Amino acid sequence: MAEIHLSNAEATVETIGPAPRAAGKLWIARMCSMVVVLGGWEILGLRVSPVFLSPPSAIFKAGVVMARSGELWGALSTSLETLVIGFVTASVVGIVLGLLIGRYKTFDAATDWLINALYAMPMVAIIPLVILWFGLGEEAKLFIVGILTVFPVLINTAAGVRNVPQSLIDVSTAFAANERQVFTKIILPSAVPYMMTGLRLGIGRAIIGMVVAEFFTAITGLGAVIVKYGNQYDTASMFVPLLVLMLLGILLTYGVRRLEEMFAPWKEVD
Amino acid sequence: MTETVQKLEVRRVTKSFRIRGRANAQDRTQDRVLNVLADVSFQVRQGELVSIIGESGCGKTTLLRIIQGLVHLDSGAILVDGVQVTKPGRDRGFVFQHASLLPWRTARKNVEFGLELQGVAAAERTRRAEKLLELVGLAEAAEQYPHQLSGGMQQRIGLARALAIDPAILLMDEPFSALDAQTREVLQKELVRIHDETAKTTLFVTHDLDEAIYLSDRVVVMAAGPGRVKEIIDIPFAHPRPELPELRADARFHEIRGAMAGLIRNATAATSVKVG
Repeated sequence: MAEIHLSNAEATVETIGPAPRAAGKLWIARMCSMVVVLGGWEILGLRVSPVFLSPPSAIFKAGVVMARSGELWGALSTSLETLVIGFVTASVVGIVLGLLIGRYKTFDAATDWLINALYAMPMVAIIPLVILWFGLGEEAKLFIVGILTVFPVLINTAAGVRNVPQSLIDVSTAFAANERQVFTKIILPSAVPYMMTGLRLGIGRAIIGMVVAEFFTAITGLGAVIVKYGNQYDTASMFVPLLVLMLLGILLTYGVRRLEEMFAPWKEVD
Repeated sequence: MTETVQKLEVRRVTKSFRIRGRANAQDRTQDRVLNVLADVSFQVRQGELVSIIGESGCGKTTLLRIIQGLVHLDSGAILVDGVQVTKPGRDRGFVFQHASLLPWRTARKNVEFGLELQGVAAAERTRRAEKLLELVGLAEAAEQYPHQLSGGMQQRIGLARALAIDPAILLMDEPFSALDAQTREVLQKELVRIHDETAKTTLFVTHDLDEAIYLSDRVVVMAAGPGRVKEIIDIPFAHPRPELPELRADARFHEIRGAMAGLIRNATAATSVKVG
């Protein structure tokens, strides 16, 4: 008869449940890939002509020079001004229109064809028209940033209003809420997570709009820095604003996520 | 014998739904009419807990929603304290099948919801909400969001929310049906306790025979096709009630249960007719 062991000396208690956010092993993998990519870039950059690809070390040096001279900060603040004003204005407009469209079917029917058409159109194509309307100044830039931002915000807000669970509307009806209370206490809070999604999508498009506007209207800001060093074949310096844009995108998206946690704390973060 | 006051009267309520056969609004030849309720009448006395039981499709939930004013009736009347009601009102508190709490509000804020709509001052709202959370045994969870609470806890909050507006009648729509057996039993016991404490007139919809017998003073047995009152059964067990397992050992419990099951079983008929 075989012996039966009820205790297993090698057994450890198994951990179940959600994994910790940054498991140690994953960070190692991330570090390794960074070293490989940056190292490979550096080696490759040193071998090819600096016009095509500058190594990270050269980009870093160029960045320090541009930061010291103040050129980078000037360009960044010009760009940010366009971005922030355009994004905030478009977000407010998008949320207000989205609420109306989501709430009132007539309003929806009157505008849906136009919104679908405009949303489907590549916005870069209307830049010549924008220049005709607004010239090359700040207004044109704000319009371009705004028109890119407004649609995702508007469409998501309207979806949020339409997707309010009927069960929650029933609750407010059962408790004899009036029309205004249904809107402010049920529909609006229920749509907040959708609005936040709209803002998150909007911020990415706003940055695109900003750069495109800086290329095609009066050349200013980070876009101007890219154009300038591109024309001078100073690739290392050209990479600096590109990396700044990348960082900007990451930071602003993170900011909107924090906003989401603040305004929609009941929504578990995915 | 104390004077019995009729708190709620359901008088000859009839309700049909027209089910559209074709999307074309002009063409109604394919429509079917579903007779959900036909001439339903009964009364609930002050302080009583009455259950409505019946197979699915007998219109018991529709009837409850009509009483609350969430659904319009075709003919008949609903009277609360002798006054006809046609719209939702705060004289009736509703507990939903799935708690339907507002996910962006903490437990306490959910309980305050009805009071907030009435314009009760914040301090007073909080005071009442805290008292009710204590009544349903959730004082600790006041600042938790619904997604942090179990199904049973959510349903307790739903009950506290309905009681917060101090309604004349509490309407409960299969509130424990979505819970697991253990939690259901605990909440049934809790409801008996809360009912004994508050003496709130309650109308309770369920499809669970044991639950109906255990909780109720009387049970309205409904039949489907169209929904109608088959019989109203008095539950003889005195208050405070022994717990359900003990009650099950009582011979009368089985007698009543058997009678109800029989009434429900032989109540089958076609539920719809074609209009042409």
